[in-house]
Amino acid sequence: MKRPDHNTYREWLNLEVDGQLPPLQRTELEQHLAGCAECRAEREDLLALEALLQKNRVSVRASFKDDVLAALPTTGWENRHPKTWAFPAAVFVLLAGIAAALFGSAELSAAGPGASALLAMADMLGSTVQAGAGLLAATWKGLGMAVGEVIASPMSLGVLGVLVISLNLLLFTLLRRRRAAEVERRR
Amino acid sequence: MTLGAEQPTDEDLVAAVLGGDRDRFGELVDRYQGRLVNYLFRLLRNVDDAHDLAQEVLVKVYQVLDRYDPQYKFSTWLFRVAQNAAIDQIRRRRLKLVSLRQDDDEGEGRDWDLPSLERGPYGEMRNQERADAIQEAIDSLPWEYRELILLRHQGELPYEEIAQLKQMPLGTVKNKLFRGRQMLKEKLQDFLTD
Repeated sequence: MKRPDHNTYREWLNLEVDGQLPPLQRTELEQHLAGCAECRAEREDLLALEALLQKNRVSVRASFKDDVLAALPTTGWENRHPKTWAFPAAVFVLLAGIAAALFGSAELSAAGPGASALLAMADMLGSTVQAGAGLLAATWKGLGMAVGEVIASPMSLGVLGVLVISLNLLLFTLLRRRRAAEVERRR
Repeated sequence: MTLGAEQPTDEDLVAAVLGGDRDRFGELVDRYQGRLVNYLFRLLRNVDDAHDLAQEVLVKVYQVLDRYDPQYKFSTWLFRVAQNAAIDQIRRRRLKLVSLRQDDDEGEGRDWDLPSLERGPYGEMRNQERADAIQEAIDSLPWEYRELILLRHQGELPYEEIAQLKQMPLGTVKNKLFRGRQMLKEKLQDFLTD
């Protein structure tokens, strides 16, 4: 088998210093080193360079970790993690339990508290959906009627237009001021 | 707890933090603060800036921790953020590349704390000379070698992570590290025999 050339051994030495040389090649390298003073000197230099760079590191401030932890903001994802949901979930379960005790049917109560609680929760959910759907329909209907009234009268349409433009201008001014204040603060 | 229990991986710690245990982030800070500050110090050449930026990087990483993709190593992600932040800062501030020696000549006391390797007046002088030489040797490397050398020696990232971070083939990383080291070795030859 053809033996690696000198440059290959030098590359292997670099890999060896970084602990990245496979065992087979390491054995071959050791054999080469035994008979090559130049490569032995090269290894010494590489190890000395590694030590030199390691010794000349700056110390991290003692307060660094505390400073980082103190600077951590409350982030968006923290509001979504389970710990945050634990309290609302507990309140929901408690309310469901109370609902089951108050409104659960006698038959289901006899079947057990779990079934009774489930029925009560399903009842509550159904009522909520029905109420929501009714409210939504009523809202759209009312909105449709109001828009119809406005369109029917040019005067009302004009007033509405002026109102919308004024509100947009006001919003735009407020946003611009806030942005200017932010830029100033960063300076 | 059993004796010799394995340390949690970075990814375990991230999962714990995301699960609501905010304090575990402190363990990640412990693991990376030294490497991160030294990596940034070599790029920014100022220990205060390095600390400030390291803090910014860690806070930034915390803020978007939920976007961390565990198929990559946490360290790769952290150093990618750090490298981008350092490059931004270098561009923004247009750092004056004056030597550490010149700072002293201007009467500005050195506020960074290098380990004292040799004692006594001659030892201190030699330490300073050595520290200056290392910084100058690193600064003189072309960027493509310098960034890899710093990721390897200060960030202590393995070859595979460097390849992933720089989106380079593994062979290219090995080759550039080899060449970068040869350059460093030549420039620091006088200090290798200390």
